[in-house]
Amino acid sequence: MIPLLPTLAEPQHFSLLEKLLFIALAVTSAVAFWRRFGIVLDKILKSKRDPGFRLFPIGKRIREFVWEVLCQAKVIRERPLPGLAHAFVFWAFCAFALVTLNHCAVALGLGFLSPRGSIGCLYFYFAAAFALLCAFSILALFVRRFFIRPRWLGAKLSWESGVIALLIFVLMASYLASFLVADSDPAARVLWWVHTLALLIFLPLIPHTKHLHLLLSPVTVFLSRGSFAQILPLSDDEDFGLVAGTDLTRLVSLQAYSCVECGRCTEHCPASNTGKLLNPKEIILGLRGYLNEYGPASDQPLLGKYNSQQAVFQCTTCGACEFQCPVGIEHLPILVGLRRGSVNTGVWEDQHGSQLFLALERGSNALGISPVERDKFIEKNALPLFDGTQEYCLWLGCMGAYDPKGREIVLALVRVMNYLGTSYGVLRKERCTGDTARRLGNDLLFQQLAEANLQNLAENKVKKIVSICPHCVRTIQEDWREYGAPPAVEHHSEFLARFVSQLPRTVGPGFSPDIGSEGGRGPQRRVLVAGVEEGGFNPRTKPIAPGGALAPETEQTASSTQPGKIVYHDPCYLGRYRNVYDQPRKVAALAGELVEAPRNRERSFCCGAGGGLVFLGEETGERISHNRAQELVATGAQTIAAACPFCNTMFRDALTAAGEDAPELLDIAQLAARGLPPSDVS
Amino acid sequence: MKIVVAIKQVPERDAQVRIDAAGKWIEASDLHFALNEPDAYALEEALQLKEKHGGEVVVLSAGPERVATTLREALAKGADRAIYIACDDLGSRDALSVARLLAAAIRPENPDLVLTGLQSEDLGLGQTGVIIAELLGLPHATLILHVEKTETGFTVKRELEEGWFQTIDLPTPALLTIQSGGNKLRYATLMGIKRAKAKEVLTVTAAELAVDAVPVVVLEQVTLPRKQKSTQILSGTAKEAAAALVEKLIVEAHVL
Repeated sequence: MIPLLPTLAEPQHFSLLEKLLFIALAVTSAVAFWRRFGIVLDKILKSKRDPGFRLFPIGKRIREFVWEVLCQAKVIRERPLPGLAHAFVFWAFCAFALVTLNHCAVALGLGFLSPRGSIGCLYFYFAAAFALLCAFSILALFVRRFFIRPRWLGAKLSWESGVIALLIFVLMASYLASFLVADSDPAARVLWWVHTLALLIFLPLIPHTKHLHLLLSPVTVFLSRGSFAQILPLSDDEDFGLVAGTDLTRLVSLQAYSCVECGRCTEHCPASNTGKLLNPKEIILGLRGYLNEYGPASDQPLLGKYNSQQAVFQCTTCGACEFQCPVGIEHLPILVGLRRGSVNTGVWEDQHGSQLFLALERGSNALGISPVERDKFIEKNALPLFDGTQEYCLWLGCMGAYDPKGREIVLALVRVMNYLGTSYGVLRKERCTGDTARRLGNDLLFQQLAEANLQNLAENKVKKIVSICPHCVRTIQEDWREYGAPPAVEHHSEFLARFVSQLPRTVGPGFSPDIGSEGGRGPQRRVLVAGVEEGGFNPRTKPIAPGGALAPETEQTASSTQPGKIVYHDPCYLGRYRNVYDQPRKVAALAGELVEAPRNRERSFCCGAGGGLVFLGEETGERISHNRAQELVATGAQTIAAACPFCNTMFRDALTAAGEDAPELLDIAQLAARGLPPSDVS
Repeated sequence: MKIVVAIKQVPERDAQVRIDAAGKWIEASDLHFALNEPDAYALEEALQLKEKHGGEVVVLSAGPERVATTLREALAKGADRAIYIACDDLGSRDALSVARLLAAAIRPENPDLVLTGLQSEDLGLGQTGVIIAELLGLPHATLILHVEKTETGFTVKRELEEGWFQTIDLPTPALLTIQSGGNKLRYATLMGIKRAKAKEVLTVTAAELAVDAVPVVVLEQVTLPRKQKSTQILSGTAKEAAAALVEKLIVEAHVL
């Protein structure tokens, strides 16, 4: 059997005319390429340098590059089939590097890889395998984009994508076809020219389309900041955030030009999913449009023609966009940067926003409630005051100190901590950590709050903080660092998870009457009967009525929910922001059997409160909290477990729409406290 | 148009106050201070008038060193200049002597309009603005929610009881005491604070202003209100008891 060989690679006899023609075309193509690419590169390099950017340590960057670019990890993981198809196309491009070089060299009589040599032969077959995969994949992707038309690719059909897909297909097909023709066949020459033309047309198209990502995205991934949703300090007295083109840094410009318009960010955005104006993809493309028209030296406001202030203030900072982006675009610093530009200059006029800032300016908390109420709460519940000798400082936060449900969560945690014999205390005075001020872009207010708090903590000699609120945890650990050295801080799920083996297990409620709490959503007390198996639904526990006696068995109320099943909702600031997924589940599992929501863990769907949105209110589209609550209810679980007082507040409201049959909503601290023997806590 | 706004720094709202050792004032050492709220509305009114008609807004405040922070905040929100009257004995002065100090500082400015808050959140006298007007020989109006500049002066909206309002025309120059709630307050911005660093704060001492400081009203004592609790059992038929209850609620408890 005669081995098939790619005639494209055969050193052929090209006439002088053909060689000159090839050179002329190649030069034209290269010039056309550079005319556009040069401009883009210029815009990126003319943007201001990123202050504090460090290339080293380089190991992490190399690892990211290998995993995300070479292995296409996120590309495949988050959208498996299209991702794999893309990966094949990408790997084929990589495999074809030598093929293409040799192809061009052959025209000039300088072919260096002979298909007749053993290495060459092996290589060309290797490339052929990828060509097959690539041809098939690009065809599938074409069908997906033009026939299946998934929603998140956008309503408008992208003809440039069609053209590129065609060119790629032609490249692969011409390569494979060349295996089937003989050397001497004129068809071989035709195929060579077809392949060449496809290449030379492809090259200048790259910088004019989103396929610029071929060149830029590996660089973008390599140079990314390496953090998640990081908000950097302002660089000097004239820096107020992203106000105009002059504020765009090189990284931001690079990211704006790297966007592949895949729509993964939009697909997971809570605002985009509920009919709001905000579309994270359009924010990035808006910056690209701005750079194309005005450039990085312009004083034109960034929020104007290409992006709107309204959209920017609809962001809950959930981070799903940044998490999903396969090319390393960091949406959060951009969104918060745009907010900073509006707020730090006083351009943002919003009734609720102003009210929030004024409440924080004048008072100690975001809710605008008198700090006396916090003192009363501490006194009434006899919470120990932190005096420097205890191990933990229990940070109440605004919700824990002033919100009725937040207080319940704190008291549940306190019960557990007392049971465990933990040494803790609460501070006499707290001010809001400033999370909302930070995410809304009010740097003045944030600085005031961070500095006042850091001073207070230092004076009180606080070494370790435990908090019920992921927003507080994030702000204390990461954002306060700009102004000092915050003490170690953890979320109560991380704390409780360490002691899970010491806490008694229970199962879900549904039998005994509520113990005096409004709205019938309070925790039920049950006693563990001897001989009970750990975990899972167990019918051998008996409910306790108020007063301590075992309550008479009542009929389980007719309900569409499954008894004992708990669905845990991953808060954005605990999950994506902090990578804490298992600990809260371990704690929740004390009280029943866990089921998962379709969008869970890193893909958890925001409750809608973050980014200051809980204070601003949502005026358009479907409520984010309702969207998520419906998903949680649909799991059929009897209990929704939350780990953030804001999620708790949002779902409490959303569940009223679900009516009588709605599952109960409890924090994991309350679930953990359920199994505890009745204590003296009033 | 030149507008002078007289502001006061008061203990922050909802602060837990304790009476000092002498029984003559509150213990200020562990309190946080902030801008008096009606004064914030006065400042906001001035800034809005400046934005509409141009001109200059000058803020003025008397008190100890800590007052400088509040003046800087006012500059950050948009005032152009500040005058700080260094005065450590503000607590022992009555409304007349404070007004004399402020008027002495305002007079050389020759403003078109003087704004003060309706009353302060600590003493709540509501007199200082009115006395300043008298000392400067300016027509005045109090409890103002809205100010409009006219050809001849100002037209203002004044709050009365039970939801009634009064519209008054005044010539210029004039003095107005501003009630809270007339406008939406603006928040302090980073840009404002940075710009405020370059703005002038003129310091004068109380001595330099050479005004008569002898108070005509002397604060003798400050006490906390005594909490009273009284339980009365009403007897008789339900109808009689109800009638007696209503009478007590009107006459004794003053809640109806």
